Amino acid sequence: MDAAAEALLRQTVRRIPSSKLNGVLGRWGCLSEAQLGSLESMQPKWLLCDNLISLCRENDLSMKHVAEVEMLYCIENPKRGMWYAYQMVETDDEAQSLELMHFRERFKAHLKDLIGHVSIKLKRHQDESVWIRIAWGDNFNRPNHLKPTYVMHHLQTPYVFVSGLTNKHKPLLFQALVLAAGYSSIKNAHLNGRCITALRDLLMRQYKQVFPSSCPKPLKESNPLPNPNIENEHAKLVEHKQRAAAEAFGYEDPPKLERATYKLETKYREHGNESLNGRDEPFRGVVKFTSSNLLESLKYCITSGMASTPLTPLLSSITQKGRNYFVIRDKGPSIASDTLGPDH
Amino acid sequence: MEEARAFLKEGVLRHLSMLEEESVLLATRQKEALQQQTRVEELRSKLEKLRAQRDQLRAKVKTTVSLQQLTSVVDQENVEPQEESREESLQLFQLKARLTQVKDLLRAHHLIGGYDVVETRRGKGVCFSLATAFEGRYLETYNLEVDLARTIRICRHNVPPFIPLEKLAQQNLQEDIKAFLVTLSQHLNAFAGRQEQVRLVKELLQGSVLVMETNSLYSIVVLMCTVPGQKETEVLLTLEYGDPTQYLPTRVTFESEDKTLLESPQWKESQSLLQQTPVHTALLAWKKERRIC
Repeated sequence: MDAAAEALLRQTVRRIPSSKLNGVLGRWGCLSEAQLGSLESMQPKWLLCDNLISLCRENDLSMKHVAEVEMLYCIENPKRGMWYAYQMVETDDEAQSLELMHFRERFKAHLKDLIGHVSIKLKRHQDESVWIRIAWGDNFNRPNHLKPTYVMHHLQTPYVFVSGLTNKHKPLLFQALVLAAGYSSIKNAHLNGRCITALRDLLMRQYKQVFPSSCPKPLKESNPLPNPNIENEHAKLVEHKQRAAAEAFGYEDPPKLERATYKLETKYREHGNESLNGRDEPFRGVVKFTSSNLLESLKYCITSGMASTPLTPLLSSITQKGRNYFVIRDKGPSIASDTLGPDH
Repeated sequence: MEEARAFLKEGVLRHLSMLEEESVLLATRQKEALQQQTRVEELRSKLEKLRAQRDQLRAKVKTTVSLQQLTSVVDQENVEPQEESREESLQLFQLKARLTQVKDLLRAHHLIGGYDVVETRRGKGVCFSLATAFEGRYLETYNLEVDLARTIRICRHNVPPFIPLEKLAQQNLQEDIKAFLVTLSQHLNAFAGRQEQVRLVKELLQGSVLVMETNSLYSIVVLMCTVPGQKETEVLLTLEYGDPTQYLPTRVTFESEDKTLLESPQWKESQSLLQQTPVHTALLAWKKERRIC
């Protein structure tokens, strides 16, 4: 057990709350029952950490094992910074029947071809998702395990979720991913956020959606009014608004997004104002919506009547297209028709 | 009385003035109460009036609506004979009849497990709902909202991401939406069927057959069962579903340490059996025959 492994172990233990630490170490499976028992209820944390390191030395554990415990915790608690979604395109038929073993071998081989010093770990979580942890090094340095890149991917789907990736390593990772999963290229899905399950649910359409149907079910058990003589004159309107909100952003808990960004590029048009009309450069503006739960807030906008229905495609595109970054370009000189165009 | 005496000690005048104060207070309170009552009554009568007005307005709206309908019907009846081309109106009626017929057919289709269609956004779009079922049991319903404004475009759906929806849409969404829906429904039904089979194996053969591995499309399922004998041997069954529109495997392989066991004609036969019957029924039959523990 070298200094680097020790540093990673210390960092990891610091990150894990005391209440969860024993569970994580138990699932890790590198310590014996007696060793785990000796660590139990040891306070403060630094003391526990010191003891843990000596136990690891005793068991002759290396960086490989320490990285595993970090990965274990990360998979179960993936709230570490921003996650970015990417989408692979142009599949061959092979991707539909790809197996984990096959994917693992190919991914490791491709990435190791591209870069020499790299440490890769691949694990399948209970919900069928495949997690990849990559510690990057270069020609002169050993892999830096303190700042690993995490990748989450569901086999047979084109979506990849990445966190902690630098621009330098982006092309390497993407090439290896695309080759291993049997696609021809990868593109930015323009979706990011802190909650990876929300991103996944949004792109894989796994959140509770409401669709128009010939026999619509009531959305909520309408709470019976205390006085039967009081009649809600706007009951129908309220129901309609709730349905519109649910159809746009999902029923009950919508995926937890923190922000939506709209970049505007518009041109100024008014007769007699040549200095502004003649500009080649468009006016640029950025509109950002931020909230602890953006879709819930937008839903409230509809139900409370702040936003009119039918909803503007600018907002409903967040769920329909599964993205939260848009560039709106002013196309053509005639009409100021704002169109939702993809960003390049 | 004692109080009065105490007051008397302080002086009669003071006592009187106090009494006066109290009486004034009482009088004002009474007045207030009276005012409140009258206010309540006023409000009540107002409420009654408003209610009556509301009912009147409602009745008015109803009558105007029915009147409009009547007039439109009358107008049509009046106009029709004046129109020179009776054929046109005949065509219209035929089309209307056809529409009701098609709607009835759709409803019947939905009732027997087909897809349902609902008009959305004032006729600019439709929403298809495709129900899936396996062995007479309804499973998940998937929805597909389609925009018809310019070209046919899928704008919202809850089809799982591993179903190749885009590829199917490219093939024949524009030309033949019916064929598109049929193939999509086949894919979804086969997927739901494979998923249900694995669920049934887990439920019905708990403890005897282990589900070792599946993928999200359920196109590869690996099961492990134990063959009884002098020495219990474990057999690994790998079912590969090569055709995504089928719920039966296209390839079945067995793996075991005991090679002679797999050479027996019984196992060779079971390979083809698994390709013809759902896996849970086959395994249940084997369990009854005590071929597996």
